[in-house]
Amino acid sequence: MKRQLTLVALLAIAGTGSLGLLTSCAKQQTVVVYVSHDQVFSEPILKDFERETGIKVRVVYDTEETKSTGAMNRLIAEKNNSQADVYWANEPIRAEVLRQKGISAPYISPNAAGIPDTFREPNGHWTGFAARARVLIVHKDTNPRPSSVVAYTDPRWRGKTVIANPLFGTTTTQIAALFVLWGDKRANTFMRNLHNNAIKVSSSNGDSADLVARGEFAFSLVDSDDVVNRMKRNQPVEMVYPDQGNDEVGCFIVPNAVVLVAGSPHPEAGKMLIDYLLSKETEKKLAFSDAAQIPLHASVATPPYVKSIESIRVMKVNYAQVAAKLQAIQPLLKNWIGP
Amino acid sequence: MQKRLTLATAALLFLAIGLLPVLAMVAKTFYVGDELSLKIYQGLLASSKQQAVLMGHSLSLSLLTTVFATMVGMPLGVLLGKTDLPLRRSFTVLFTVPLLMPPYVLAVAWFAVLGKEGLIGHSLPDSGSALLSSWLFGLPGCTWVLFTAFLSIVILLTMVYLGAVNPRLEEAGRLVSRWPSVLRHITLPLIAPAILFAAVLVFLLTLGEVGVPTFLRYPVYPVETLTQFAAFYDFGAATAATVPLLVITLLILGLEYRCLHKRVLSLSAAPPGARRGRIELGPWRLPILGIVSGLAVVIVALPLSVLVVESASISAYVDAFSRASDSIVRSLAFSVIGATLLTVLGFFCGYLIHGRALSLWRGVDVLGLFLFTLPGTVIGIGLIGLWNTPITNVIYGTSAIIILGYLVQYTALPMRITAAILGHIPRSLEQAAELTGASWFMILWHIVVPLAKRGLIAAWLISYIFCLRDLGISMVVYPPGSDTLPVRIFTLMANGAPSLIAALCVILIVVTLLPLAIFGFWLRPGSNAR
Repeated sequence: MKRQLTLVALLAIAGTGSLGLLTSCAKQQTVVVYVSHDQVFSEPILKDFERETGIKVRVVYDTEETKSTGAMNRLIAEKNNSQADVYWANEPIRAEVLRQKGISAPYISPNAAGIPDTFREPNGHWTGFAARARVLIVHKDTNPRPSSVVAYTDPRWRGKTVIANPLFGTTTTQIAALFVLWGDKRANTFMRNLHNNAIKVSSSNGDSADLVARGEFAFSLVDSDDVVNRMKRNQPVEMVYPDQGNDEVGCFIVPNAVVLVAGSPHPEAGKMLIDYLLSKETEKKLAFSDAAQIPLHASVATPPYVKSIESIRVMKVNYAQVAAKLQAIQPLLKNWIGP
Repeated sequence: MQKRLTLATAALLFLAIGLLPVLAMVAKTFYVGDELSLKIYQGLLASSKQQAVLMGHSLSLSLLTTVFATMVGMPLGVLLGKTDLPLRRSFTVLFTVPLLMPPYVLAVAWFAVLGKEGLIGHSLPDSGSALLSSWLFGLPGCTWVLFTAFLSIVILLTMVYLGAVNPRLEEAGRLVSRWPSVLRHITLPLIAPAILFAAVLVFLLTLGEVGVPTFLRYPVYPVETLTQFAAFYDFGAATAATVPLLVITLLILGLEYRCLHKRVLSLSAAPPGARRGRIELGPWRLPILGIVSGLAVVIVALPLSVLVVESASISAYVDAFSRASDSIVRSLAFSVIGATLLTVLGFFCGYLIHGRALSLWRGVDVLGLFLFTLPGTVIGIGLIGLWNTPITNVIYGTSAIIILGYLVQYTALPMRITAAILGHIPRSLEQAAELTGASWFMILWHIVVPLAKRGLIAAWLISYIFCLRDLGISMVVYPPGSDTLPVRIFTLMANGAPSLIAALCVILIVVTLLPLAIFGFWLRPGSNAR
């Protein structure tokens, strides 16, 4: 019996002791940020902020791989008692949805100057920075190389292509952008043709990239960081910026977006973090990191494998319109996925 | 009085912490904006054809997984728990390993084995690897991965209950018959509730699983809930979408009650200290050892070897510890606290169910399993809705919310295990103590708990495992800066180096096995703790 008592006591001491240690640093100045950008890329930036300012950063990480059921749903559920100060979204549509739901607060950072208007909400409810491009990841054995998203509907690639579930993440955003750009009729035909060409649907862009890298499929539409990441691991893939011809639609650009949360507990620290994220230095760090993101400020140095925003033929869309279209086409996309 | 008051307090506490978040969520399904409406359910009915197809997929997957896991797990449980097979303990630990990992990680590991350029797929001719790959991505692959993930539930529960069968019944059978017949006519019918309970657990866990089918591109019903959460941000519709799952859960639980729950446990009260018969395999010992070893290699060693090979560098582990040491400590602390509280709460609720001391015992039992089968995301959102207020920030803003989440979702496990173990303790022992004037707490502490010790340790360990591997609730409610190891692994999986992820998975397995090893040492043969 003594051994049982000792064990129970030890378990209780170990548990409460560890918990006490973990919550002991609550008094330091803090900022709470919810992050939908991949943790491997965002964590070093936030640690740098912590080191440079002395402000403790408490983070809720989420990722597109988890369908953002974490951070975004928490922000909505916590609307009446906000716990977060800042939301770092990995694309502007979620930020736009938060604006519509009254969860974001306006803040125009001085560091937003120089970022093109296309990538900013006019009242400062969100501001874009460090973008990814929506590109094709192509297996090296694939011949000929596809050069347009329309290649998905080419009978030559029947059953050999994969796309991330269009109900989630940047794939949804891109399809909504195509609906805005092409109009409903042409976009609907495109979606129908994807089905007819036996396209496969994966759970995420990361899975699509892995499936192509492992030779399961010829190519897939993914984010540029997914490709750079596989290329750095020496996997047999190449990156193709789609639709770069003069009469083509251009490559869809997905900036990160930063949002000040309405009713946040530490708004001043939150604004400091936003200023930090929107700085040229942060964009440079994200360009040189494995995230390989494209700076939106002009004249920020980039590594050779990251194209400057000026050198890419960019798809010209209005992100607020894309957000509105995205919500309108969700039922259609749900039917497209089917059972 | 002491007994009734304590049991009523435990039951009401569980009903409150378990039911309130769910009620808060369900209430939202009847509102659109601020108006009372059935619109959400009308929307659900409008897409009933699509839902029926998805539900068909879910039921097929759950049924196949349950059948295979039971057919393989039960004989393995008997071999490991009742025979003189060599290396029984090692095999038990080995078969438990897949249960320690989030099923999604297991699916990724199997992809690395069976995919076109995987460990096996790579060495096959093109047509063979294509066939293997197409098999992996679909119902067969999903069934296989979830079978390997949940097999140990059947093995472990079979072993736990085998240890509680009254050996005198078997001895009586042995006087007139050989072991196979005794097993068929006495032992297995006695442990039928355990096998049925294990099958129900596997079925319900598979029914609620979303990560593996999503990764392996097999559309199932829970995806509907995920879609409503992640694509539409519609909490009401997401909760409403779980209703058909809950109806099926209740039907299955009803069936379980009708079939076996009441009938068999009373037959198997084991006298304390009774010597248990062990089946001698004789000339079959080595061939069976070969078969079990083969199974262990195929089911466990293959996916595990991918993780070990992938992580086989010091730098991977250095990176893993530098990125996740805080999460490892937190996971350990949360799981120890969670498992301890779960065992205490589960003990009292289990006692209530076993003795049916209060009329609400059935409600507590059904609620426990009902909550166990709810998607963690739904419980998480319910917890936010209930606890995220300025007054209750002391709970919501701290790690207490994670522990609360564990109590909501996993109380069914220690509760059911306790109820089953108490069924093997003769009621006469408690009655005799009562006659001497001992209080109920004294009886519990000096008679019931020592006799139920092994079962309670099993309850603690299973609770610990489930707390440690929890992803659904932790992901939704963890306080900023306080994530757990499975959450950290999941968030790092997006573009994280495979060697880092593999190292973190190996660490998760080791951290989970640690208390198993401690208890194994504590309860080793010859120890007076037995």
